[in-house]
Amino acid sequence: MLKRSALGFGHLAMSAMLAEDLAARADRGAATGNDPLAPQSPHFMPRAKRVIFLFMKGGPSHVDTFDYKPQLQKDDGKELPFAKPRVQFAKTNKLLKSPWKFKPQGEMGIQVSELFPHVSQCVDDLCFLHSVHGTNPAHGGALLKLHTGSDSFVRPSMGAWVTYGLGTENQNLPGFVTICPTLAHGGVKNWGSAFLPAHYQGTPLGNASQPSTQAKLKYLRNQKLTSAEQQEQLQMLRQLNQQHLQDVGGNPDLEARIRSFELAFRMQTEMPLVEDLSEESEATMRLYGLDDPATEDFGRQCLLARRFSERGVRFVQVTHSDTKVQWDQHADLLNGHTKNAKEVDRGIAGLLTDLKQRGMLEETLVMWGGEFGRTPVAEGNNGRDHNPEGFTMWMAGGGVKAGFRYGATDEYGYYAVEDKMHVHDLHATLLHLLGLNHERLTYRHAGRDFRLTDVAGRVATGILA
Amino acid sequence: MRFRLLLIPLSLLMIVTLKSKESSAQDDPRASFFEKKIRPLLIDHCYGCHAEESEELGGNLRLDHRPGWERGGELGPAVIPGKPDESLVIKAVRRGDDTLQMPPDDQLTRQQIADLEQWIDDGAFDPRKGSVDAPATSSIDIEEGRLFWAFIPSRFSELGTPRLEMESVQGFRGNNPIDAFMMRQWKAEELSPVSRADRRTLLRRMTFDLTGLPPTLEDMQSFLEDDSPDAIERVMDRLLASPAYGERWGRYWLGVARYADSNGMDENIAHGNAWRYRDWVIRAWNEDLPYGEFVTSQLAGDLLPDSGDEQTEIDRTIATGFLSLGPKVLAEVDETKMEMDIIDEQVETVSRAFMGLTMGCARCHDHKFDPIRIDDYYALAGIFKSTKTMEHFTKIARWHEVEISTEEQRQSHAQAVARAEAKQQEIDAWIKKANEDLRSRLAEDAPLPEMPEEHYLPEQKEKLAVLRGELTDLQAATPILPTAMSVVDEETPVDLAVHLRGSHLTLGQEVSRGVPEVLVSTSNLVSIGGAASGRRELANWLVADEHPLTWRVMANRIWTWHFGQGLVNSTDNFGELGDRPVNLPLLDWLAVEFASRGGSIKNLHRKVLTSSTYQLDSVATPENEQRDPENRFLWRAQLRRLGAESIRDSLLFVGGELNRRMGGSLLHVGNREFLFDHTSKDETNYASKQRAVYLPVIRNHLYDQFALFDFSNASVVQSRRAETTVPSQALFMLNSDLVMEAAVALVDRLEHSTIDPRRRLELLHLWVLGRPPTEAEERMLFSLLTRGPASAETQRSRWQLYAHTLMSSNEFLYLR
Repeated sequence: MLKRSALGFGHLAMSAMLAEDLAARADRGAATGNDPLAPQSPHFMPRAKRVIFLFMKGGPSHVDTFDYKPQLQKDDGKELPFAKPRVQFAKTNKLLKSPWKFKPQGEMGIQVSELFPHVSQCVDDLCFLHSVHGTNPAHGGALLKLHTGSDSFVRPSMGAWVTYGLGTENQNLPGFVTICPTLAHGGVKNWGSAFLPAHYQGTPLGNASQPSTQAKLKYLRNQKLTSAEQQEQLQMLRQLNQQHLQDVGGNPDLEARIRSFELAFRMQTEMPLVEDLSEESEATMRLYGLDDPATEDFGRQCLLARRFSERGVRFVQVTHSDTKVQWDQHADLLNGHTKNAKEVDRGIAGLLTDLKQRGMLEETLVMWGGEFGRTPVAEGNNGRDHNPEGFTMWMAGGGVKAGFRYGATDEYGYYAVEDKMHVHDLHATLLHLLGLNHERLTYRHAGRDFRLTDVAGRVATGILA
Repeated sequence: MRFRLLLIPLSLLMIVTLKSKESSAQDDPRASFFEKKIRPLLIDHCYGCHAEESEELGGNLRLDHRPGWERGGELGPAVIPGKPDESLVIKAVRRGDDTLQMPPDDQLTRQQIADLEQWIDDGAFDPRKGSVDAPATSSIDIEEGRLFWAFIPSRFSELGTPRLEMESVQGFRGNNPIDAFMMRQWKAEELSPVSRADRRTLLRRMTFDLTGLPPTLEDMQSFLEDDSPDAIERVMDRLLASPAYGERWGRYWLGVARYADSNGMDENIAHGNAWRYRDWVIRAWNEDLPYGEFVTSQLAGDLLPDSGDEQTEIDRTIATGFLSLGPKVLAEVDETKMEMDIIDEQVETVSRAFMGLTMGCARCHDHKFDPIRIDDYYALAGIFKSTKTMEHFTKIARWHEVEISTEEQRQSHAQAVARAEAKQQEIDAWIKKANEDLRSRLAEDAPLPEMPEEHYLPEQKEKLAVLRGELTDLQAATPILPTAMSVVDEETPVDLAVHLRGSHLTLGQEVSRGVPEVLVSTSNLVSIGGAASGRRELANWLVADEHPLTWRVMANRIWTWHFGQGLVNSTDNFGELGDRPVNLPLLDWLAVEFASRGGSIKNLHRKVLTSSTYQLDSVATPENEQRDPENRFLWRAQLRRLGAESIRDSLLFVGGELNRRMGGSLLHVGNREFLFDHTSKDETNYASKQRAVYLPVIRNHLYDQFALFDFSNASVVQSRRAETTVPSQALFMLNSDLVMEAAVALVDRLEHSTIDPRRRLELLHLWVLGRPPTEAEERMLFSLLTRGPASAETQRSRWQLYAHTLMSSNEFLYLR
């Protein structure tokens, strides 16, 4: 039965496929049956359906952005009164106060530094995680830990796990997209599927060395053939493949490959529609900061993220990573963070506002953060070193408490001390919000069952709305 | 240790004292404190993993009776009465240490922690009695473990070989023992093998199988015309002797060896000399280097007795690169952790590559499924701890390389250095003279100017520039002596202590270097001397004929690479969680044949290819399909998609564009240089038209076509690849330059061959698919040609469209 319907689908005319409505799409789901990317039921009722991860590469300083430390402002220039970690990345000196002013924002009066004037307006929607901590003080290890749960081994990325667990809602688009990802510090491993089947790996659009105008799916367009010629070609190909299928007496792999060309053709049609921003209003473009050269690059990434999300892409990652030092201000914190924050502030606020306006925020989990935070003590005289011991990320939408602060670092912001949230805990919580039990989402490989959270991970139930 | 000895009598004493008080326990405030606060807390938060009823006893620690915490688990006593700060229980619940945090899922409240502290401070009153179990040692029973099928040596006698003439399956004529084993199984499973494949299919199958390329037109013609009974053998011998064989089969091994030209992981740095290992592997397969020697060279090539042959010595140094090629976290700030991670990668790679064992599981605890204890892991790890893989561990850490120059290279290097030195001396002498000359031109007492050269006469300046130019040329001409990624023994070998829960911060008992005990037999012992790392002993032990895994694992891989179905499908895992062999007698026959014929892989190929089983057709029959839909019993040939390399190479090959030059580096960045740094600038380049096996394998950034078509992971041992079908592959076939350009080259080649369109069509089909076109195909092409204008340009582009379509078709991509 399954085989026959799959074959039958192969005979559908291209034009009919393009005109397909949602009902026909549901039919196709049945016809393709065991499609690995078909939507899967979660383990329990999910709070969020999809994820947008805004990744700030290099390690934004929490004590200069969202984790206000009055004691640090007071004790500027003094020695840190407790021990620094056993393993550090660079040599650091005395306490260094934040050069930015903090102001209470929103109804809850949450303190945000003046680095984020636009995001400040959204704090009532944010759920701050002030006690995130990792184990690795180097970029590569920390990126891998954050994205894959392991800084020692090759493991699937969180986006791959999510797509493996939930499938995706639009079969004409990839299930996991990463826009302008960094190629350094783990590169592909940060969106790879490792031992999970290749269907679940992230699809990169562009990379961090390219402007986001070039964030396009590779091999999507044919530079030489017209659309009519490609249709002719697909027709011939189908004929050849059907004959071959008959000659070998039927074979599910061959049928799947015949289908994959049809899917590819639909992707070729749908993908450019997502990438084409011309249908967006001027007001929307402005909302994301596309009217300012300083903010348009990241703003476009955020806008693309919304467009993919609304079309059913399960996991979208957006990366802010310029080609120089990113958020990695070992020196000249003032200028570096000022520039970085300016580049992302409008895009982030625009995305949150837009999602809310469209009623998408409650089903979309937005997550913001870097691979670690920065030390409250100075490196040199005007920089900060990497700090995986305690830093801030935030979430919004998708079933988390709004206008909420969870966990805390010590009085200077060095170590997470209250409601500590290890990266494994972050992953467990992320999966939980999507309706997945991190202990049950497993894959058997090399003689054992693997998890995103390895043998750890606690769901931070305190943040659930 | 001493500490524990002191502690136990002390706590026993306490039991006695407490016992005497037990009658009045109700009145003892400590008793009521225990009952009210501590017992419920332990039950709620600890018994899940630390009680007799626990499904799995965490860390071998019981907290449901007093002796449990007194003796403690893997980490020693959990509670030290009177000393909360020194008690592991308190450390764990305070969660101050990343390696020990309990309970794992929910933190205790501050009050609960304070209660526990108070309880211990007050002497840890605990009325719960019970007996101390056996000491906290491993629960793995080695003797029982030996009974697992894969750990029993392949025993094979003439009696066990089914005789061909004794077996019969209708419509099938067996040719060698492989067929006899297969016939037995088919009969038992009530399957009837399909008929023999036709000759075109067979030649295409054999040629792709052994060389990764399609047969040429000439190969096809001569095979079709060869009626002699040994036509197959002749083709086989030709293909096995072709250098393309090593390029194809060596690549399989490179997948096992997780070969890559870059480090990957956190800092993606070029393995500028890894290609030497790759080229050695290809040579070794082409030369049919005995498998025992192949294994030994990679584990201990540097420790073998001098062969007296310069090239052999160099090759053996290069071969140990196997141990060094793994992905490493080079900017790990915790250097001890980095070192242990690198050793771990080696242990896991060596055990999976050569034995199909997943030893990595035993880094933190006894293996959950296989009879491998944590001690076995650290015994093997000690061998690699005693091996120098890294020059240093300071970020960015640097792997070790060894010079591999020939006598000739050293001589010409020395001569070049001498020439440059002589030139330098000449320049120095000349300057001295020129300075004297300058001084003679100055006033009597005037000192030599600071920059005397500026005061030289014009012709002197000119001369000096010429001399310096000559020196620069000489220096540039000095050859760089080649080096290879390679390992050597550390000066002082050491044994490692067991790392509890895998952490170097919690060390247990020291174990002597050695191999997994379950695999040691009286006839194959390992004894590692005090002065040696043990790599050579490990290699010798592995390649002994009676090793239960080495030969089986590799024979199974070779079988799998030929058939696309394993006798054991989990080719890199022969443990409990791996698959069971579908035909153990056949696997054992292959293993014994392999080991006893000097480890010749080409001999195994011959046995496989000349079997009638190998030559079956791929068409399914309904009866068989119902009984064995997955074709596990190989009653027909398995339909298989070409691998990533074969797809690319064949596209270039049929267009006449494949560059057959063998070996060398195609990396575009220097050794140890960044392939990707924080700028994300892409330094990779895959433009070469040499065979795919020579394209750089860049971890974290594989060549697109490789990544799309399921190339091996390149970070872990992988002898079997997935075979996925995803739309992005279709997009690549439809739109990539590689395929588009191959179609253009193919049509150019056609145009150079003939002007007759029918002959062109015939050639096109023969080159791409190995068969002439059908009438339907002829109609398809000619209708395509007649549509649209008849200009030469349009006609050509229509031909290209058709060629492109053929090259994207399933028939081109799937092997029957």
